[in-house]
Amino acid sequence: MQYDVIIVGAGVSGSYMAHDLATKGVRVLVLEAGRSFTRDTYPRKEIDANAQLYWGGGVELNTSATIALLRPKVVGGGSIVNQALMDRFDNIALDSWRAQSDVPYFSEAGLSAWYEAAEKDLTIQDVPESTRNGNAEIFAEGFKKCGFVCKPLTRAQSNCRFEEGNDCIECLAGCRIDSKQSTPVTTLRRALRAGCHLVSEAEVKSVKHSETSVNVSGTLSTGAPFSFEARKLVLAAGAIGNSRLLLSERFNRKLPWLGKGFYTHPQYMVMGLYDREINAHKGPLQTYKSYDPGFRLKGFKLENVFAPPVAISMLVPGSGVGHLAKMKELTRMSCIEVAVRDTHAGRIRVNSDGKAFVEKELNGVDRERKTEGLKAIDAIFRSTGAREVVPGKLGIGLHLMGGLAMGTNAKTSVVAPDFKLHGFKNIYAADSSIFPNAPGINPSLTIMALSKMAASLMLKEL
Amino acid sequence: MNALAIKGLKKVGDILLPGEGAFPRFSQTQLETQLPRLMDEMYEDDRSGFILLMNIFGLLPSFVVRLILWTASFGHGSVFRQIHIGVRGVLFTLYYSGIDQQGILPALNYSTTINTKLPQDDEMQELLRNANPLTMPASLLGPTLIMEKARIAHESIRTLSVSDRLKTIKRLRFVVLKRQEEIIDAIQVETHKARTDVLTSEIFPLLEHLAFLEAATEDALKDETVPTPAAMMGKKSQVWYESMGVVLVISPWNYPFYQAITPITCAFVTGNACVYKPSELTPLQGLVESVLTEAGFAPDWAQIVYGDGRVAQELIDLRPNKIFFTGSVATGKKIMAQASQYLIPVELELGGKDPMLVFASANIQRSVKGAVWGAFTNSGQSCTSVERLYVQDSIYPEFKTLLLSEVKAMTLGVDSDGNKDMGAMISEKQVKIVADLVKDALAQGAVMLTGQEWDFHNKMIPPIVLEGTTHAMRINQEEIFGPVLPLMRFSDEAEAIRLANDSTFGLSASVWGEKAQVLRVSRQLVTGNISVNNVMVSEGNHALPFGGVKDSGIGRYKGVMGLRSFCTVKSVLVDGNSKKIEANWYPYTTKKYRLLSRLVQSLFLKKWIGFAVNGLKLETYSQKARRD
Repeated sequence: MQYDVIIVGAGVSGSYMAHDLATKGVRVLVLEAGRSFTRDTYPRKEIDANAQLYWGGGVELNTSATIALLRPKVVGGGSIVNQALMDRFDNIALDSWRAQSDVPYFSEAGLSAWYEAAEKDLTIQDVPESTRNGNAEIFAEGFKKCGFVCKPLTRAQSNCRFEEGNDCIECLAGCRIDSKQSTPVTTLRRALRAGCHLVSEAEVKSVKHSETSVNVSGTLSTGAPFSFEARKLVLAAGAIGNSRLLLSERFNRKLPWLGKGFYTHPQYMVMGLYDREINAHKGPLQTYKSYDPGFRLKGFKLENVFAPPVAISMLVPGSGVGHLAKMKELTRMSCIEVAVRDTHAGRIRVNSDGKAFVEKELNGVDRERKTEGLKAIDAIFRSTGAREVVPGKLGIGLHLMGGLAMGTNAKTSVVAPDFKLHGFKNIYAADSSIFPNAPGINPSLTIMALSKMAASLMLKEL
Repeated sequence: MNALAIKGLKKVGDILLPGEGAFPRFSQTQLETQLPRLMDEMYEDDRSGFILLMNIFGLLPSFVVRLILWTASFGHGSVFRQIHIGVRGVLFTLYYSGIDQQGILPALNYSTTINTKLPQDDEMQELLRNANPLTMPASLLGPTLIMEKARIAHESIRTLSVSDRLKTIKRLRFVVLKRQEEIIDAIQVETHKARTDVLTSEIFPLLEHLAFLEAATEDALKDETVPTPAAMMGKKSQVWYESMGVVLVISPWNYPFYQAITPITCAFVTGNACVYKPSELTPLQGLVESVLTEAGFAPDWAQIVYGDGRVAQELIDLRPNKIFFTGSVATGKKIMAQASQYLIPVELELGGKDPMLVFASANIQRSVKGAVWGAFTNSGQSCTSVERLYVQDSIYPEFKTLLLSEVKAMTLGVDSDGNKDMGAMISEKQVKIVADLVKDALAQGAVMLTGQEWDFHNKMIPPIVLEGTTHAMRINQEEIFGPVLPLMRFSDEAEAIRLANDSTFGLSASVWGEKAQVLRVSRQLVTGNISVNNVMVSEGNHALPFGGVKDSGIGRYKGVMGLRSFCTVKSVLVDGNSKKIEANWYPYTTKKYRLLSRLVQSLFLKKWIGFAVNGLKLETYSQKARRD
């Protein structure tokens, strides 16, 4: 057999596991459906970024078409298109995980060593307040006036060189100055140096397994088929990718919880229109997050954020001249998003063609959380002189979690605490698909920590 | 997108984006031309749904489209919401991505920059290039990945047109011509052949082969229309010659360059990917790759795998679509046995024990010269070397005298200037085989007429003529594959034919003499190829199929037939997309039986009027449903 381990998905989890395995001499092959880019080749126009970095040409929708799901499809996965916000989970999140899953190590203490190890794999900085842009100023000022607490974001970045006039909104389509710690700059690159193999534009469509081996097959973007064999398989294709692959192979016969327990931290961006130039697109895209214990307890958080014109145009309501009138305010817009810590699980299903359908709605509790967040944003904008507040209609789901929830009970979870699928000896998952519920905190750092933990357990069996 | 859909797109575009001042209407932007940038990456069903919707919008009056969009904007019902988001998504993406000529983003005062300039990330480019098992050199891969890569390569080769493939072949011909001396040097290092042998038996025939491919492939592979019988009137019958997939080529050490490029190019022009394993004795490491690459072969079109028979076994277990093997009978049988487990078609070009028959009517001078060259070229290491020489009694003494003087005049050595007749042996193992066979013959009474100076070890075996051998001796049963020529005699035609056919092999033969006689004899020989009044020359014409009978192998390559042996032959019968019910389909009724029976009678008794009348009746009747 050519490989010890095949990893499906070159996102955050796939890259970290590839790194921790390949640097220990394990023969690893990573298969990624998306393309590979370097800092020189990332798409520059929003149309190309949407088309080339995400599944479905930009967005996928939940079945009721109320939430736009942003699912990266690129070597580096979410780390290419995210804002690289690095936060450990607190005990509020982990206690709830432990309660749901019965997994003993879900606690700040249980994970701290793994968080520490993950943090060492990249450069993490607090975003300096000194470089904040007009959008961040309004955020900070509004928080102060309303008596809320905020603090600078902690971000995986090495040197954004704002003094050179860089507008980091562009790094939503891949950081061209290798400051953002996307995995092609960090763990994935080191994995490749250690001899890890990688095939991009290779979409895995089928998984066959026996006691001793796994075989994955699919098609390249050229339409040509491929298939590879290994001793063990790591599913790192995210909540929807992993669920879809396993559901289309009917793993749900043995894993009844497969596809259930899906969460997205639904986000709603709200624009405040001002009479002065805000230029939310200039300089650092984000500087602050809410750090208000009240918000945490109420189940939402706020960030100062912005998006490039196409995304904003999708959020601005209306059409025709009315829509254009709002778009003309682009540089006088401030923008804050509320991210809901959703309590109501969605579900991923697959039709006979192998296409995924995501059932995901907000229940009363979640809607209340959203409303509380919108109220806070409204107060912030009003207190800082916004002449109009424009809530974006469409929800956004970009923390795609669950579907292969971890737990001790095979009836109400999919992945066991040893990161193997219940009842399977050689299929593993450690990405956001194993989250038992929504933590309400950005997931990236925890995906890294769990992946490192999974890799270390795996190494003992290789 | 079709014209109607574009019309629909512009219609809905102008409703959503009517423009104002510095902002153009959507239909003024020509942004619809940029649609593939987005659509190409969408899911197929989303894309077809969108195109359908745009077609509908194209047909509807503007106010109805406006009404639909207005209704959709309320967001009641998931379908309306999907339409709303989808239509806005596509149009806003086109309009606000900064890909227009009118300057929409500048009009919004929106511009972003990254001013920091970093050098190009060459390291990552290289890491990515070297990390892909499907594109990395075969030398770094195991058999599984090589085969995987070949299967993927096949998908791209098959889509190349034949004329594109032949452009590569033409470039290859020029590369071989340009690098001729360098190639000959490399071959000589590994084979110790005489330089002229390399030129005439590796370079020259290879160029002939490439020229043949350039001239003949288009015709050989084009769809062939064959007759369709009268009973199937109105239908069309064709044979399509299509690629097979991955061809595994396993070649011997005697012509390491020719036997590499020839089958590789046969596989390539017919649309197949090739995995090629040279003999471990003459790998010509890197040479074949470099020649192919210079000609424009992609690295995965023909992958070269070095190693011994175990590598070949592993590759066969990975089920190539065809195996093309040239080599020994013993190995050929093993390969066929292994391939039989997977029913992989095999083509086996195996050994020979080629007879040369010289009749009294032959030109003695010429046939002696032919015998010497046919027996000793390439030191006899050819499957079509003369291994048995039969001369008619009446001319035997004269022939023998001339033969010996010719052989004694031969010059030996591994030369650099083309001034030697015969080089050394390639393989130590083969030297031992030759020594054993000669010793066996001598022990049983054969006599060495030349070559007595050989110590039975030296790789530079001199040309050896043996007299007094019989068919009972191993030397006349087993393949010698060395510069040894057993000289024998025959009395008449019948004996010549009997002797020539008395062998387990049947690769080729040469027959010398007056034309009517030698053609008559040639018909009686059990063999795959015959050179008449010449030697080892039938394989020189690349339009002639080549291959053996009996233990000499299975299948034919070269020529149109040979090219097609690298093809899947697909038989296609095409009927019209009509409502017609065929006469032989259900329902069967007594009446139909009667009509069919009459039709059969008239058709095969060739009573055409009856056939026409019955055929018409049956045709009409068959369109009706059963009525009991």
